[in-house]
Amino acid sequence: MSNHLALRSGNPALQSSTFRNHLSSVTDGTMTLSGTVNKTAISLVLVILSAAYSWTNPAMHGLVVPAALIGFVLAMVTVFKPTLGHITVPAYALAQGVFLGVISMIFNAQYPGIVVQAVFLTFGTLGALLLAYMSGLIKATENFKLGIVAATGGIALLYFINFIMSFFGSGIGIISSNNTMGILFSGAVVVIAALNLVLDFDFIEEGAEMGAPKYMEWYGAFGLLVTLIWLYLEILRLLAKLSSRR
Amino acid sequence: MENPAIILWIPIILLSVASIIKMLNKGGPNGKPWIRIEKVEENE
Repeated sequence: MSNHLALRSGNPALQSSTFRNHLSSVTDGTMTLSGTVNKTAISLVLVILSAAYSWTNPAMHGLVVPAALIGFVLAMVTVFKPTLGHITVPAYALAQGVFLGVISMIFNAQYPGIVVQAVFLTFGTLGALLLAYMSGLIKATENFKLGIVAATGGIALLYFINFIMSFFGSGIGIISSNNTMGILFSGAVVVIAALNLVLDFDFIEEGAEMGAPKYMEWYGAFGLLVTLIWLYLEILRLLAKLSSRR
Repeated sequence: MENPAIILWIPIILLSVASIIKMLNKGGPNGKPWIRIEKVEENE
């Protein structure tokens, strides 16, 4: 096996070892690029439908915290039991849709129009990075992967410390501040989140090349979905910071 | 700035244009150009 697999993806859900653990269990077909694209599209449609429903239905607004928690549990189940992906990934998409719908509605009430902009920017970023990956302009080299993994880990650590500090009425100012440093920080997080998409593309391509089992298509779609949701939320936060300075 | 989203579109557009130019020139990872202009011989 090439050293291409030596490092794991920046996305904690996507690791090269994931394929090795499942290669022996190929029974009903193998993972394909088109199959993964279809499952990603299905998951995205579920997120959008669920988000639209929770945005327009006030009864759903109280479900934002349970939806986030259920989403987290489903994500963990998907990571540790990828064979259940055909059930857990659509359910995860629906739960995250409820969460995103309510969060988006709150942001849009404060800064009208930014949700539409964030959605277009998210899909624009996805398209641009897909083009960059296909053209070879951005390659998922070992150093690239290492850099993105380290940066993503650093951001996760910072967010975790901020989460703990929030229980004591404090927090890391740069994360929520709309000053120049706060905007530069958010911009950097958006770039890191966007570059994680390249690692996801690489993971999916690698899985298809290695002949991973069919159910890994759901797993690849899940990884891409996690990154896209993170990217959308970071773009939303960055736009809110920029709008608040107007 | 009137619309802050405009500044975020600039890197997306630049990256897309650079990728398309690279694809047209080199044809991506497998080295085959997307567009190839060849001289067509008579009776070919």
